[in-house]
Amino acid sequence: MKRRRFSDEDKRVWMTIGVILLLGIIFIPFSQIVWGVNYTYTVRVVAIGGSILGIISGVLGCFAVLRHESLMGDALSHAALPGVAIAFLLVGRELSVLLVGAGIASWLGVRFITSILNTTRIKQDTAMGIVLAGWFAAGIALLAYIQSIPDASQAGLDKFIFGQAAAIIESDVYLVSGVGLFAFIVVALFWKEFKLVTFDPEFATANGFRVGFLNTLLSTLIVIAIVLGLQLAGVILMVGMLIAPAISARQWTHKLDQMVILSAVFGAFSGGVGAVISAIERDIPTGPMIIVVAFSIVIISIGFAPGRGLIWTGLRQRADSRRFATQNALRDMYKYAMAHGGITTTVPDEFIKGIGNASVLMGLKQLEQDDHVNYRYGHWSLTKTGAKMAQADAHNLRLWDMYRMYADELGLPILREDRQLDIRDVLPSEAVTLLEQKLEEVSV
Amino acid sequence: MMALERFIIEILLNFAGREEINAFFRSPQNTATLIGCMIAISGALLGTFLLLRGMSLTSDAISHTVLLGIVVAFLLMTTVFGLEGDTSSPLLILGASLAGVATVVLTEVLYKSGLVRQDAALGLAFPLLFAIAVILVSRFADNVHLDEDAVLVGEIGIAWANTNSHCFDNCEIITMTPDSPDAEVSRQCTNCRELGINPRDENAEFEETCGNCGEYTPAKAWQAGLIDEEPLLVFIPKSITVTGVMALLTIGFVVLFYKELKLTTFDSALAKALGFRPGVINYTLMVLVSLVAVGAFDAVGSILVIAFFIIPPAAAYLLTDRLSLMLIFSPIIGGLGAFFGYDLARGNFLGIFQISDGIALINRVFGLDLLEKWDSSISASMVLMIFVFFVLSWILSPKYGLISTVIRRANQRRHFDDQVVMAHIHNHQYTDVQSQELEVATLHKHFHWTPQKMRRVLARLRALNWIQMMNGIVQLTERGDEQVHTFRDTTLSANNIIE
Repeated sequence: MKRRRFSDEDKRVWMTIGVILLLGIIFIPFSQIVWGVNYTYTVRVVAIGGSILGIISGVLGCFAVLRHESLMGDALSHAALPGVAIAFLLVGRELSVLLVGAGIASWLGVRFITSILNTTRIKQDTAMGIVLAGWFAAGIALLAYIQSIPDASQAGLDKFIFGQAAAIIESDVYLVSGVGLFAFIVVALFWKEFKLVTFDPEFATANGFRVGFLNTLLSTLIVIAIVLGLQLAGVILMVGMLIAPAISARQWTHKLDQMVILSAVFGAFSGGVGAVISAIERDIPTGPMIIVVAFSIVIISIGFAPGRGLIWTGLRQRADSRRFATQNALRDMYKYAMAHGGITTTVPDEFIKGIGNASVLMGLKQLEQDDHVNYRYGHWSLTKTGAKMAQADAHNLRLWDMYRMYADELGLPILREDRQLDIRDVLPSEAVTLLEQKLEEVSV
Repeated sequence: MMALERFIIEILLNFAGREEINAFFRSPQNTATLIGCMIAISGALLGTFLLLRGMSLTSDAISHTVLLGIVVAFLLMTTVFGLEGDTSSPLLILGASLAGVATVVLTEVLYKSGLVRQDAALGLAFPLLFAIAVILVSRFADNVHLDEDAVLVGEIGIAWANTNSHCFDNCEIITMTPDSPDAEVSRQCTNCRELGINPRDENAEFEETCGNCGEYTPAKAWQAGLIDEEPLLVFIPKSITVTGVMALLTIGFVVLFYKELKLTTFDSALAKALGFRPGVINYTLMVLVSLVAVGAFDAVGSILVIAFFIIPPAAAYLLTDRLSLMLIFSPIIGGLGAFFGYDLARGNFLGIFQISDGIALINRVFGLDLLEKWDSSISASMVLMIFVFFVLSWILSPKYGLISTVIRRANQRRHFDDQVVMAHIHNHQYTDVQSQELEVATLHKHFHWTPQKMRRVLARLRALNWIQMMNGIVQLTERGDEQVHTFRDTTLSANNIIE
């Protein structure tokens, strides 16, 4: 059998990726013309920095979301604050040092959560809340202390709380890109393993993968993503930047590789656009702006994503209920007609409306439209096509009856019984022939 | 609100003089500690139920959104209705708590759509609402008397300065009109600049403005020197009233609906079957959580408040298995945290350690030059103290603590070793292989133990007089035999290990 290279879904995903990329590119001239944005050196650096951070958190956020650790991201980002403060006190404001401090503090937070879980009966959400609040309070207390130090060059340290794009300079972009590249290489090297521990940790354990090590590695990478994003999104909102692109991406695809790429694109878009907007409008903090952009994408995805989005689900449900109503109305009419003399017998309107539920009207209307039934003088009758369809349906139902009674005897494959389906679609043709024979035997 | 304050003051005046009451509330420490305790009580009581229902992080979501509610209500009040914005106004509190409940509903809707998991739904909803709130705060900072610092840590340290005054004697409300002798009226030409004329010109039009007109409350009138006799005034910090009302509401709710809360928390299906409506109780709980989060916003900000909801119940959860005791322990832990937290903010850790000494030590060790005076955020320090109490109860709890767990596990291990050795002896004594299986010198090999461990276990069993050594062979004593049989009859059969 030849495998198709691209399914419809694949095509859709790649198209979405292309559209978003295009939007991102269009955004630059658009903002230049409409808002009169002048892409100075600073704004360029900020935009590039924002996009790179968006890519990193988008990629690693996928794993956080798929492992149901979204709120862990929240706890970890809050927990980074005291690390920033202590690193500042001990060494001074050097971005790499501050980030190392943040990473260590988050890491201690993870350890604390794990040890609470291992030694007490406290549940994970409470443990995360404890670490979130405790670490954050420590950070706030330390920041208050730092602010009380006269002439300390603490200005800008509290930007880690809400994030500030304007503070990003060129060397930061290099640092972030370097670390991000390292994280990507690790993800690429351990791709298969990460996929396995994310979706089926038991299977991975049973097959001798070092799940503990892989979990630790993955959480470390997530911590890295959080820490890198801190200066842009801030500790409070970092969780949004981590999970929003991933959740949007999840709506569009069922494949991990596509989800990761899509999420990176979404992340880059929201990081770049949010950072630019806030760099231009001085009184809009960066973190919140990025979050708002990222969430617009989430809302669009949840609403419109093909196959999964709310609008599609709604449309599908409507179509389903119409089909169901049509089928039911047809069956009711057929049953009445056969019981009262034959297929050409007319059915009184009151009767069919009386026995059906609210959806029967919808079904009848649909049938009339398709020219399967006629309405004359208060009576419904089946047209030729309608009669044919009803007979086929009745036959199908009888075959299902046969299947239910004699499936074991005839050695037929085991199926979930779904009488909405045509039995010829789900059973092999030999099996259907057997059923037909059985039906003849029984009716004789 | 004012009437309630007045009522309480009247009660207080029976016990203490006016000056004493004013002096008490004017002390930042007293006011801050009192407010902290009130928040701790209400948070801990509600948090206990949240924890038992597995909804701890809902308080996180609510406290984040409440900010949006406050900001929007504030903006509406000031710009649309033209009222004076005040974060302790009942209208604002009510509006903002509706926002909190709305989040809960939104999260549930999002999660029930089946597109997003519950954790992701929470993680989506509150950063978004919080982000919008922060953008509003920074955009309309002029209209909203909130800044990002207040959002984070609150203003519990200066809560004493924001007071309602109550007058009990010599209460004279003075209305200053432009005609009053003390009025400061100034005349200003309204069309001089426009027409380029001199104010003395006859076409000039004037507008009279009064600099100090308006209604004077007794407190203001006394300050401005408009009345001669000092009014009898009592000042109550607004936050105390707000948080006090929250605490009373919470206590009342828990006391009145204790049975319902207990039942819906532990067996919601049974509660429903008995006609208790768990949904109603659940949403009442959410409304109260929102109310408390709004009421506490002024004092501790919108993020630290979750510590008051989550940490004290978690600590109490480690100390006891009984709901009633949990409801007593957790407010006490929260209250103690608030009490000692004020000292911590001033650098005094429980009276046993000065933070400045610690900083001095760090300076010496790392050769740094850090400021040795510790003066930090009060609300954050309160949370830290509560956290310290959590760690203490985690370590020291008699049943679930780290220490007792270590001891219990060691005991279990010892007990298991004893039983294994006894069973081994019981199986092999008086059999043909007795001399191989039960020889003291080689016994450890049968268990893959070290000889030292074997020696320890044997010494212990001998001290209990359960075994004896005969010619280098171990044997059960009579008591030991009895022990093995009781063990078989009770423990093993109870666990259905042997039929």
